[in-house]
Amino acid sequence: MDDLLKTLRISAAGMKAQGTRLRIVSENVANADSLPTQPGDTPYRRKVVTFRNELDRATGIDTVKVGRIQTDRSEFQKRYDPSHPAAGPDGYVLAPNVNTLVEMMDMREAQRSYEANLNVLKSSKTMLQQTISLLR
Amino acid sequence: MDLNKLTLFGMVKGRMAWLARRQEVLAQNVANADTPNYKPRDLKAFEFKDYMKAQQGTTLKAVTTSPLHMSGSQRSTSAFRDEENRSPYETAPDGNAVVLEEQMGKIGETQLQYQLTNELYRKHISMIKLALGKNN
Repeated sequence: MDDLLKTLRISAAGMKAQGTRLRIVSENVANADSLPTQPGDTPYRRKVVTFRNELDRATGIDTVKVGRIQTDRSEFQKRYDPSHPAAGPDGYVLAPNVNTLVEMMDMREAQRSYEANLNVLKSSKTMLQQTISLLR
Repeated sequence: MDLNKLTLFGMVKGRMAWLARRQEVLAQNVANADTPNYKPRDLKAFEFKDYMKAQQGTTLKAVTTSPLHMSGSQRSTSAFRDEENRSPYETAPDGNAVVLEEQMGKIGETQLQYQLTNELYRKHISMIKLALGKNN
């Protein structure tokens, strides 16, 4: 396969990986207030995306793939709310370990990487078009 | 008439192959901008030796004389060698050393050089057309 066409594949894989990352970020933000319903239950646990480099055997190119989506092992937050149905005897409710600030930062980073991949794609496309226009 | 026998056309061909290959390597870097422990790669500068290689065609492959022979996977059929960047601008805590700005700069450079090569090709074709005596 032509090098420039390979480039398009690689950029597309990068954009797909960043898209998955953005999806996970939005899942985390949407569930930032998913509290348990009974005492002793656990609330929503934050998800984390991992990337890995993988050789695509069919085309012989190194692309990026999203690895297994894992969960954040850090401790849950605690909120004082004795009236909540899931409140323990001390009046505290376990809340998800999602920090919206961290998620926002992750979102911006995903956006930035996505844009970079998009620009590479555009650049390669321009190069291909220039070559094609030699025929005119 | 074989256009590749004219020095300039052969040079343009080699240069274009090099630039397309470089674009692929850079796209890989950008796609892996968030992969842990990924180190950016780049091609060795285009030199006279590479030009000679491009003239000779692709690298030698093992001949299969029996249907039982396996061709083996060809990781890279390109004549150009890529190498890891040993002194990156900075390395993130997760071991990733891709700096997006640096990569985008290189991609812009590659695109410009590709355009230049293209224009050179076009100019020389028009010169040949002029010699042929046709209008334009």
